Amino acid sequence: MGREIGAGRTSPSMVRRSASLLRRWGAGGGKSSLHSHLRWAGFFFVLPALIHLVIFKFYPMLQAFRLSFFRYDLMSPPVFTGLENYKLLWENPLFHQSFWVSVKYMFGVSIPEWFFALGLALLLNRRMPGRAVIRLAYFFPIAMSQIVVAMVWKFMYHPFGLVNTILETFGIGRINWLSMEESALPALIAIGIWRGIPLFGVIYLAGLQAIPKEYHEAAIIDGAGVFQRFFYVTIPLLLPTIMFVMVLSLLSAVKVFLNPLVMTEGGPNGTTRVLPYFIYETGFAFFRMGEAAAASMVLFVFLFGLTLIQLRLLRRGGVE
Amino acid sequence: MSRKTMLRLGGALISVLTVGGVVVMLLPYFWMVSSSIKTGIEVFDLPIKWIPDEIQWVNYPNALTKGAFGVYFFNSFVVAFAVMAGNLVFCTLAGYGLAKFRFPHRELCFRLILSTLMLPLEIVLVPTFLVVRELGLVNTYGGLIAPLAVDAFGVFLMRQSIRDIPDSLIEAARMDGCSEFGIFWRIILPNCKPALGALALLAFRDNWDQFLWPFIVATTDDLKTFPLGLAQMEGIDSAAYHEIMALAVLGMIPAAFIFLFFQRAFVRGITLTGLKE
Repeated sequence: MGREIGAGRTSPSMVRRSASLLRRWGAGGGKSSLHSHLRWAGFFFVLPALIHLVIFKFYPMLQAFRLSFFRYDLMSPPVFTGLENYKLLWENPLFHQSFWVSVKYMFGVSIPEWFFALGLALLLNRRMPGRAVIRLAYFFPIAMSQIVVAMVWKFMYHPFGLVNTILETFGIGRINWLSMEESALPALIAIGIWRGIPLFGVIYLAGLQAIPKEYHEAAIIDGAGVFQRFFYVTIPLLLPTIMFVMVLSLLSAVKVFLNPLVMTEGGPNGTTRVLPYFIYETGFAFFRMGEAAAASMVLFVFLFGLTLIQLRLLRRGGVE
Repeated sequence: MSRKTMLRLGGALISVLTVGGVVVMLLPYFWMVSSSIKTGIEVFDLPIKWIPDEIQWVNYPNALTKGAFGVYFFNSFVVAFAVMAGNLVFCTLAGYGLAKFRFPHRELCFRLILSTLMLPLEIVLVPTFLVVRELGLVNTYGGLIAPLAVDAFGVFLMRQSIRDIPDSLIEAARMDGCSEFGIFWRIILPNCKPALGALALLAFRDNWDQFLWPFIVATTDDLKTFPLGLAQMEGIDSAAYHEIMALAVLGMIPAAFIFLFFQRAFVRGITLTGLKE
């Protein structure tokens, strides 16, 4: 398959020559210097993105870590307080509540997404009349704004909104979804799933279509049925995509902020106060930046651990 | 049951599922559009009248006067296009570098970039705000745009799709004396149009939509984006569902338009990512 270029050995003089070549964007250039100047060209293509991420991701991350040991209210200078912020969080029942709300939301949204999205992709990968139109109908919601979704669903969940009207035809009474402790979080989870399916469906579909037809053809010749082909051809070849979808769906679910903010304001009784909302509230409503940073660190460690476990599990599953 | 009837039953079931899924996906949008052209009382009428007797177009101009929505729309466009452009440029360059060159610590670079998927804005919210404040960009367009201009997901997407472009194409161009940037411009870009379309669509959608960051960094009305404006209006006048829905429809139009515009590239990108040698 793709053999990479620029892997050859280089001498210092070639590097110097390559630098000057690079300045002229490698115009011309004899064959002898080709590999060495290519060696650095690749890095220069990556550099702008890398610099950006250092400024806006890695440096802030280090800052968050540092800040989590300080008391800081944006006005007076930060005061070093050691582990005080972490202790405050540990003793704060609202933080514990937020943590579990986030966990419930995360898995409540992403696990159904994995299966429904794969189902959707398998469905759309079939030959059927009007496939283009059907795909369009499914993919269209991907383009929709979160705020539009939030507003529409807030209205749909109204005691006299569409959701209750539909449920009523099935003999289920009207529920004030967003203002009851038992129903507010499930209502938000339903929106998350509804919204995630098409997006992850597209990603799965791309993965499905990248599987060379020859594999399926060979399996058919060997007498494999639909299910055998699914479990022995599709799933193993789709594994990288599945892994990607799993990570991405968890990460995007844990980031939810807009819906709890504009639909429930974290309520009723904090049952929808997810961690990002807690962090926002602590930092920008109560101006306890250090504590907010400490909560960010907890969220980060949580995400990090989750990703590692996920990768480990998948590796043990025999990806090779 | 014979095999044939089973297959036919299965086919019917799949059709029902497909259509049912479309209804579930699109019904909220029909409900939104329908409610936006009703009076504030009609929106709760039962049984639901999807098209009201008298269409209330007046909801739209009325809703727009409930805030500086011209400004909000303009700001959303500026932010969405600037962030989209940033992502197209930086992610594609980085994706190319990572996909087709071998340089020292390339894998490390890729891992570092991917690791930022674990650092969403929600986690680095406080320190990112502090960085932007240090740069003096609070409540400016620069502050709204800069932190969002590169997304690791975009780099990943472009790397995957550029990897599928055959090396033989690139090497042939190189033999013909094409410069490295020329190769990027003439070979790579035309061959990853579908992925570019997908990236553009996603970047536009995400940032037309951007809520959390403007919510933190835009402090005055003249820098607020549409989502902020709509949430603010809803907070003040939460019972005016017909007007909120009218604004939601307006907020949906740009994203819908962009989607339809890029749709072909988008769907084709999914089918075309594997260029065969």
